Amino acid sequence: MTIVDISFFNLAFAYLLLAAPLAIMLWLRLPMISDTLIAIVRMTVQLLFVGFYLQVIFDLDNLLLTGLWLLVMLVVADLSIVRGCGLRLSRVALGVFVSLLVGTLVPLLFFILFIFQDNAALGAQYLIPISGMILGNCLRADIIGIQTFYDGLRQQEKAYTLSLSQGANLREALLPFIRKAFQAALAPTVAAMATIGLVALPGMMTGVILGGGDPMTAIKYQIAIMIAIFAGTALTVILAIRLTTIGNIGTEGLLNKEIFVAAGKDQ
Amino acid sequence: MTPFSETHSTSGSAIVITDLALSRSGSTLFSELSLTFDRGDKALLTAPSGYGKSTLLRSLLGFVPATAGSITIFGRKLTPQSAWQLRCRMAYVDQEPDLGEGTVEAALRRPFGYKNNQHLHLDPDQIAALMEQLHLPDSLLNKPTSSLSGGERQRVAVISALLLERDILLLDEPTSALDQDNGSAIAKLLKGKTETTVVAISHDAVLVETFDRVINLKQHSRRSV
Repeated sequence: MTIVDISFFNLAFAYLLLAAPLAIMLWLRLPMISDTLIAIVRMTVQLLFVGFYLQVIFDLDNLLLTGLWLLVMLVVADLSIVRGCGLRLSRVALGVFVSLLVGTLVPLLFFILFIFQDNAALGAQYLIPISGMILGNCLRADIIGIQTFYDGLRQQEKAYTLSLSQGANLREALLPFIRKAFQAALAPTVAAMATIGLVALPGMMTGVILGGGDPMTAIKYQIAIMIAIFAGTALTVILAIRLTTIGNIGTEGLLNKEIFVAAGKDQ
Repeated sequence: MTPFSETHSTSGSAIVITDLALSRSGSTLFSELSLTFDRGDKALLTAPSGYGKSTLLRSLLGFVPATAGSITIFGRKLTPQSAWQLRCRMAYVDQEPDLGEGTVEAALRRPFGYKNNQHLHLDPDQIAALMEQLHLPDSLLNKPTSSLSGGERQRVAVISALLLERDILLLDEPTSALDQDNGSAIAKLLKGKTETTVVAISHDAVLVETFDRVINLKQHSRRSV
């Protein structure tokens, strides 16, 4: 069974569907039409670029080239997270990058070494979609986790300094904020696991079915990827929080406000 | 010693401030502040608004670095490193305290879970006694801290500070949200702590009467223009 291709001409019909949401926006006079149009153009251009590039990578199927592509994905995710959280790039980019690297690579290696146990898994066809799914979820979880953590520290600065003044060490003073951020970051993944298959057919499973796999194979892939995503997000969030505090919390225990973009002029 | 230094015995001193200068957002608040607080002193700090009284209290906790001069607490120089140990000899009450999340009881118990406070024992009877002295009902213990009024929060913060039985109490406007009765109750409690050094910022007449010394920071430092 092979997947039915969509011609570019036929794909153009998909854009007709945009008429409905755009008409609603016009009717409601929402000031988001230009943003929406820009987002659609960006999506199209980005996906076309990625499609062409991935075609080359899949054709060559070279591990080094695949690794380079993963690196590009990690850097783009890193920049998106830092910008999305309103933090200064120079202060947190390295910590976020390491957390993404670990959060993506550990579940990915686990996938290759223990779940597939097949050399084919080292091919670009497996490595890129699987790492992409893990990384995409790590990105979402990191944005929620890091933002919740630093917003909490900023908004509850008095509660934080109170705990320091009461004799808490750094770990003890940060713990309530880490706990809250970790919970907020993982809650969507937990909720997704609890309703998966009932509310919506998940991406991995859909991909396997569309690719010609039978539903049981698709389910096994989906279970494995969900666990990998959960493990990856947990690892990346805890590491992102801990690593970004390095150098941004002074010797006396207070958060350096320079970490926030609003506190400085440049990023 | 500067012309603004207060001559005071340094033997048995709890806090010695020497030629201290503090700044906020890059501009100097005051300089050449020299003060000594002995063990058991009850000192009230006064100065015009914006002079840097609260910043001074925060600097005693090591949260605001000195731009010049030094602070010594029980003979040990305050540095960002030593502040962690020295904080274990102090308790602080902010003028608008944030007690953290959870119930009042959880907020009172929380510091006793810290490693540095493991030698301390929390006596529930002591909580009950302090609650009664500060006119707070026992039922308040089960309420979330977010539901407390400003006055209740202030009194719970004072109780939390007293329960830790530190050598030094740093209080920033501890009665600003309280009526006279409750203000007097706090003054009475503080007066009873004969061994505790209390440094407070307040304009409350009840505290002014209770404290041994009223120190006008203007007379002990140089104000930067």
